[in-house]
Amino acid sequence: MTDDKLDLPQGTLDLLILKALSLEPQHGWAISERIQQVSRAALQIPQGSLYPALHRLERRGWVRAEWGASDNNRRAKYYELTRAGRKQLEAEADQWQRLTTAVRLVLDMS
Amino acid sequence: MLSRIWSELRYRFRALVRHADIDRELRDELAFHLAREAEKHRRGGASSEEATRRAALAFGGVDRIAEETRDARGVTLLQHVMQDLLYAVRGLRTHPVFAGGVIATLALGVGVNTAMFGILDRTLFRAPAGMIDPGSVNRVYVASSGPNGKRAIEMQLEYPRIADLARWSRTTDATASFAYRGMAVGDGRDTRELVVAIVSASYFSFFRVAPVLGRFFDASEDQPPSGTAVAIISNGYWRARFGGSANAIGARILVGQRSYTIIGVTPAGFEGVSEQRHPSVFVPVTAHASTVDSSFYRTYHWSGLEMLVRRKPGISVTALDADLSAALTRSWNAQRAIEPGQTSVDAARPEVIAGPVQLARGPLAGPEARVAMLVGSVALIVLLVACANVANLLLARTLRRRRELAVRRALGGTRARLIQQMLSETSLLTALGTVVGLMSAELTAGMLRRTVTRFTDDASVLTDMRTLVFALTIMVVTTLLAGVVPALSAGSDDLADSLKAGAREGTYRHSRARVALLLLQTTLSTTLLVGAGLFIRSLRQVRAVPLGYDVTPIAYIEASSRGPHATARQVLDLESRLVAGAVAIPGVERATPVISVPFWSTERAPIFVPGVDSADRLGRFLIQAASPDYFATVGTRIVRGRGLTSADRAGARPVAVVSEAMATTLWHSDDPIGKCFRIGSDTMPCTTVVGVAENVRARVASLGGGMDLIYYLPIEQYVASNGPPPMLALFARVHGRADDYAERLRARLQPLMPAPVYLTVRPFHDIVDPTMQSWAAGAKMFVLFGVLALALAAVGLYAVIAFAVAQRTQEIGVRIALGARARDVLALIVGHGIRVTLAGLATGVLIALAAGRAIAPLLFHVSPRDPLVYGIVAATLMVVGVAASLIPAMRASRVDANLALRAE
Repeated sequence: MTDDKLDLPQGTLDLLILKALSLEPQHGWAISERIQQVSRAALQIPQGSLYPALHRLERRGWVRAEWGASDNNRRAKYYELTRAGRKQLEAEADQWQRLTTAVRLVLDMS
Repeated sequence: MLSRIWSELRYRFRALVRHADIDRELRDELAFHLAREAEKHRRGGASSEEATRRAALAFGGVDRIAEETRDARGVTLLQHVMQDLLYAVRGLRTHPVFAGGVIATLALGVGVNTAMFGILDRTLFRAPAGMIDPGSVNRVYVASSGPNGKRAIEMQLEYPRIADLARWSRTTDATASFAYRGMAVGDGRDTRELVVAIVSASYFSFFRVAPVLGRFFDASEDQPPSGTAVAIISNGYWRARFGGSANAIGARILVGQRSYTIIGVTPAGFEGVSEQRHPSVFVPVTAHASTVDSSFYRTYHWSGLEMLVRRKPGISVTALDADLSAALTRSWNAQRAIEPGQTSVDAARPEVIAGPVQLARGPLAGPEARVAMLVGSVALIVLLVACANVANLLLARTLRRRRELAVRRALGGTRARLIQQMLSETSLLTALGTVVGLMSAELTAGMLRRTVTRFTDDASVLTDMRTLVFALTIMVVTTLLAGVVPALSAGSDDLADSLKAGAREGTYRHSRARVALLLLQTTLSTTLLVGAGLFIRSLRQVRAVPLGYDVTPIAYIEASSRGPHATARQVLDLESRLVAGAVAIPGVERATPVISVPFWSTERAPIFVPGVDSADRLGRFLIQAASPDYFATVGTRIVRGRGLTSADRAGARPVAVVSEAMATTLWHSDDPIGKCFRIGSDTMPCTTVVGVAENVRARVASLGGGMDLIYYLPIEQYVASNGPPPMLALFARVHGRADDYAERLRARLQPLMPAPVYLTVRPFHDIVDPTMQSWAAGAKMFVLFGVLALALAAVGLYAVIAFAVAQRTQEIGVRIALGARARDVLALIVGHGIRVTLAGLATGVLIALAAGRAIAPLLFHVSPRDPLVYGIVAATLMVVGVAASLIPAMRASRVDANLALRAE
């Protein structure tokens, strides 16, 4: 592991996955790629945790899965946000914002 | 929220029903991911193999991720359990000895405990079946000080006392009274002595119960002076006597001296507050009491009723105590107004103690209840030993499976998953053990019950909810106790080492956990064996107490009459007929009428002795009146003077034989022969002492301490001055054991009796033995459990040493190759066993010494630190310890160095 990669704080993986799925349905590999790209490679999803997390979200009804053809015509399992998932994303994102703002305030205290 | 639950349910259902599909999909999904990842690397310029390798490396183990994903799905618990159970069944089938050993050990622990729980709960602690809100019901005890200032607690109360308490208390909603009597029921040859419940009309209202036929008593049927002669019969008696016919209602039934009309039948299983006395007939208190004492409701003479009260809502037991005590004080004064001889309230300080309904939890609980509790905790110790044993066996098995476990972890089995699997296996074992244990409890409960308590009914263990719940609890606790440590060790992280080290069956290590378990077992067995020893010694001591008369060859014959009270002449006539009839039976040597029976029914009268100021202060002077054959019949020796003779008839000079203790108490070192004392009042004629008999013990109180003061009178003289004796009873001495003669005596003697007289014959030891019941039960149960625990500990020690030997085969091989002789190896292995045994013995002895004080009151003339007991226990334990380690040690000493080393 290189040093400029950040460890994911507990509980943020779900948030990242939900966010990555908010634009369009994706399959698992694309989700991890997208998060890595958007975070300028600072965040790397531990691949071992990705699929357990996806299945957990599916069980909770926040994402829904469907098999479809990928861009190179292979069968892939696509995940899509459900309405509950979208609400959950808003709630979690909001919470995250408040948390980071609060943490920043504390850190900026001089 | 709802949608989420719905989604969850749908998902789980699909996962459960179609888990094969889902598994395939998951594999496809992961494969796709790997392919895309490899493709990315290839586009970056890597070779095809390199790309695949890098993708796989970044991803980690597919199997492990698949496993974790399955866990994340959350449906796997059930699947895992099924899988684990199947796996466990397969594993156990390949190790039948291991499985059998564990199941048998657990069955023993669970069985013994379930049986004990059933007995203790049912016979001692459970509220009577069907009682409404037993928590608000109390049994009333009365404490007061006697003339000598000693405080006594009484639960048998007088009819007016109960009426007073009911009338003057403000904290009770309802009161009831009841008593149990063995009485003649039926007529003619069908007459049998049965248990009759004498109950107030309110008694049934304490229970949620309705008659299966007819009705219960009405309050108007239970009014003084003589009540109404109506009876309710028990379900069992109804079926036996009336074949369950509705014709029973209205039928007449003779109970004691009165004929009753049957008005109702209780439902099956109704016992009331019976304390295991199974009444066949219920009659109103007033209807019965009037046949015994016509003034029972006005005077405080006739006692024997027990009292129940139901507290008003919100009233505490303390408040009830205070309220009832105030009522009792009023009642006491009311009694004093008509019986001036009654001690004053100030001197007697009467108070009410409200106890729980169950006698065994009240202030008058006998030693049986305490011994039974002790035995119950002893059973729990056996369970602990069994758990330790099972834990040890499981640990050993885990060690033997290290390689398998290590491989499974390497293949992606998570720690939690392995632990779960080990626990499943333990659960399967404990479940099987519990089932076998319950079956054996069902088979042995009756035997245990007869051993521990005096009660003999055989209630099923399997159909009793409380017992089953208890067994289930035990099962869960056992699983946790026995399974957790081995399971954790199966999940421990150093497992991987056993692969690296290349050990075939794991390397030998002294497992601290296993040695600790072994220590626990040895300690507990030591404690139990010490208990066994102390109770055996107590029993021997109490058996060795000279009673001053024989028990085994004596039969006790009692004649009860339901007819009018017989005159003195008639009683003597019947008695001589019985004596003649008895000695005519081959094997019956002698017989004598008696008026009192040791441990059963004693007679007293005030005595007055010239030169001795108030002799009654010196002790309780008991009376026995009998024929001249008495001393030869019961085997009491005459130590001075003469016994009774046929010349001591009515009208002749009144004579008595006194016990040695009575002689020394009254006349110290003077020669008692020729002394005079007066019986009943100081105006009676002089009774002259003509002989001194050896000391006897006739009361439970004198078993532990001094001798009873007793004098023997010729029965003809006794009857001449006292009227009819209190009982029509005989002692017969047989050749051999009285048990073998009881029925023969009854069958031969009954026809000699007029119709209203019926006989009960029983071996005298049936009366004497219960007084030693608590020690006998303690001894039996401690021996049983102590031996069980020791056997378990021995097996445990053997298993651990044998396992260690198997593990150390290579090491021993090396030692032998280096020149160790067989006896060195033997010493090495046995030494290990001995060290563990010694350590366990030491801690066990310490615990036993500490616990000794608690059981000291239950022992009889044995110090809880009796060195003999401790010595024997220590020796036994050492012998067992050496034996258990010798067998595997012998095997170790025969290890072939060549073979052992080549296996390396």
